[in-house]
Amino acid sequence: MDPITFSIIRHRLFRIVDEAVITLKHVSGSAITNEGHDLMVSLYRADGSLLMGGVGFLHHLTSAAEACKAIIRRFAGQIHEDDVYLLNDPYTAALHTSDIYLVAPIHHEGKLVAWSACFVHVYDIGAMNPGGFSPDSQDIYTEGISSPGIKLVDRGELRQDVLDTLLNMVRSPEMVSLDMRSMIACNNVAKDRMQALIRKYGYPTVDEACATLIEQSEKLLRARLAELPDGQWQSRQYMDVKGETAKVCLTMTKKGESLVFDFTGSSPQSKYSINCTKWASLGGLFAPLFPLLCYDITWNEGVIRPITMIAPEGTIVNCTRPAPVSVATVGAIQSVNNAACATIGKMLAASEKYRKEATAVWHANHFAVFMFGRNQRGGQAIGILTETFAGAGGARTFADGVDVGGEIPNPISRMANVETMESTFPLRYLFRRRRVDSGGPGKYRGGLGMEIALTPHDAPDGGLHYVVSGKGSKYSMSEGLAGGYPGAPNRYIWVHNDEVDPKRNVDPSFALSLEEMPGRQEDISWGVFPLMNKDALYVAWNGGGGFGDPLDRDPEQVRTDVACRFISAEAARDVYGVAIGPATGAPDLAATKALRARLRNARIQRSAAE
Amino acid sequence: MSRPISITLEIRAGDKGDAIACRACGHAIAPAGTPWKRHAAVREISMNGAGGRAYTGAPESLLRQFSCPGCGALLDSEMALPGEPFLDDLVRA
Repeated sequence: MDPITFSIIRHRLFRIVDEAVITLKHVSGSAITNEGHDLMVSLYRADGSLLMGGVGFLHHLTSAAEACKAIIRRFAGQIHEDDVYLLNDPYTAALHTSDIYLVAPIHHEGKLVAWSACFVHVYDIGAMNPGGFSPDSQDIYTEGISSPGIKLVDRGELRQDVLDTLLNMVRSPEMVSLDMRSMIACNNVAKDRMQALIRKYGYPTVDEACATLIEQSEKLLRARLAELPDGQWQSRQYMDVKGETAKVCLTMTKKGESLVFDFTGSSPQSKYSINCTKWASLGGLFAPLFPLLCYDITWNEGVIRPITMIAPEGTIVNCTRPAPVSVATVGAIQSVNNAACATIGKMLAASEKYRKEATAVWHANHFAVFMFGRNQRGGQAIGILTETFAGAGGARTFADGVDVGGEIPNPISRMANVETMESTFPLRYLFRRRRVDSGGPGKYRGGLGMEIALTPHDAPDGGLHYVVSGKGSKYSMSEGLAGGYPGAPNRYIWVHNDEVDPKRNVDPSFALSLEEMPGRQEDISWGVFPLMNKDALYVAWNGGGGFGDPLDRDPEQVRTDVACRFISAEAARDVYGVAIGPATGAPDLAATKALRARLRNARIQRSAAE
Repeated sequence: MSRPISITLEIRAGDKGDAIACRACGHAIAPAGTPWKRHAAVREISMNGAGGRAYTGAPESLLRQFSCPGCGALLDSEMALPGEPFLDDLVRA
């Protein structure tokens, strides 16, 4: 096919996905979709294989392909034009029940020619805990509605009986209904634009372009892999849940034009909902692979072909029914993503040509906090603190990580404005800012995470409650690269204001830091907690991993970091080995040189002594 | 004659064959193709406080630092719980 037509069709496919995403956002009414961009839209071939991976959470690109294939199997002979199917069973294809897939066949002249698929994290899914993350669940049966495939729209007609049945099992059904309609609209736009493309260029031409696009991606990735050194790289992630520690172990082996991700050695599946299924693990490893190895390659089936995953059954990365998985997206999937990011980063760093593409790990301690309760207008509100998406960038081989730079698996993730959250929930933010010392030290520092504090405000019930799925407070998870330190871990603190003792019953509204907050501080991380009266919730999260030796960081940069309150004076001295003159605030270069020599020598001496 | 295998390490030809060496000073650390970390200067410190005041995690979690025995350059680091084996990265020649 001529390259101009091929290129035009390729770009049209990109634009179809983009326009469908815009539709999804315009129709959806929840901040997690509109502002957090916890969404995904992609196009698939007639057999369900990935054709054009879209933006949003990249974990879903391969899982939604499996969803299309599951629908093809289940509804063989019954798939009609203008149908829409719902699937959210994690043991069939989905990541967790609250990320619902709506997949729709695209026909041309009566023939099935493609699929579109999308997801949003729906407002509620009817699990034990509101919002979909259900830390109290210890099996899939208590994690809400779970469908291995059901027809929601039949030949263009909404099956109201099916929708009403679903809405009858969730909290805030009007918002869930809007989520469903946003996904139907999204698929309708994708279908219309795809059909217009086929009408313009003819099915044989579009089909050939799609097949060529997949072949091209495979060829390009294999060529890139051939340029990278052969080898083996390992990563290990620890997750803490209610006093238990689980680990995800990865050995990534690159040989010639192929990559094998082997998760042998990972912990047995947990009784807590941090587990993930094998489809979710596959999505988890592709989430960093797409942007790090395929930044200039179309994300489709061709990229998947050179990759093999080994995930032993019964482990935390390939759990078996009925293990709970509702926290998987910030649990095992995130750890798979982190480990894959770390090993790919090390492989890229081993290549002179691709070194600049390497990165330390981003936002590994991903968490989720869902608020729920009666809001200031008397309605029920459920929703995530979208700060969960405001991760920190890992350091690169040439620059610091981006402060509050987002996260690898979702290139368009972001957090809502404080005002959005305060208008949705009866809350007041006491502060929201970058967190001192959270970025992993290194020659190039990991990006900084954040800290926030919330207190009830104008709440008809005196406050509200929240669900914390907060692994990540015990262990640093954002691995560094080439000696760089990992980012700091998270903290979740319930500040109890003592209503009994009037001396301690102080309004926290003007506290500017955790230290200034009145009341007793309690570390929490997992379950449902109240935020009532004058209590406060403090959340602080990880920075990105650092790159290289912190003793090699430019002392002037360290001075700037201290002046901007990005790092503490103690870290400047003890970790970066920079002596800052107390009078001038400037680095004392002679003293710095001596201090760094002493710290380097201590590494050798201490090791020899041990 | 040397060939980089990571940001901090290279393969360097020597009298006793190829060796994994520090890129900062050329110090030979281990025979090429073998796990090099056990031959590095290894220091384990608690992650708690390791990178500054935000490092408030479990005291038992460790930051392992692998440094060049010759010059003290930091070659790699990893997180570990006590007794965990070293992460074994290997670039083939």
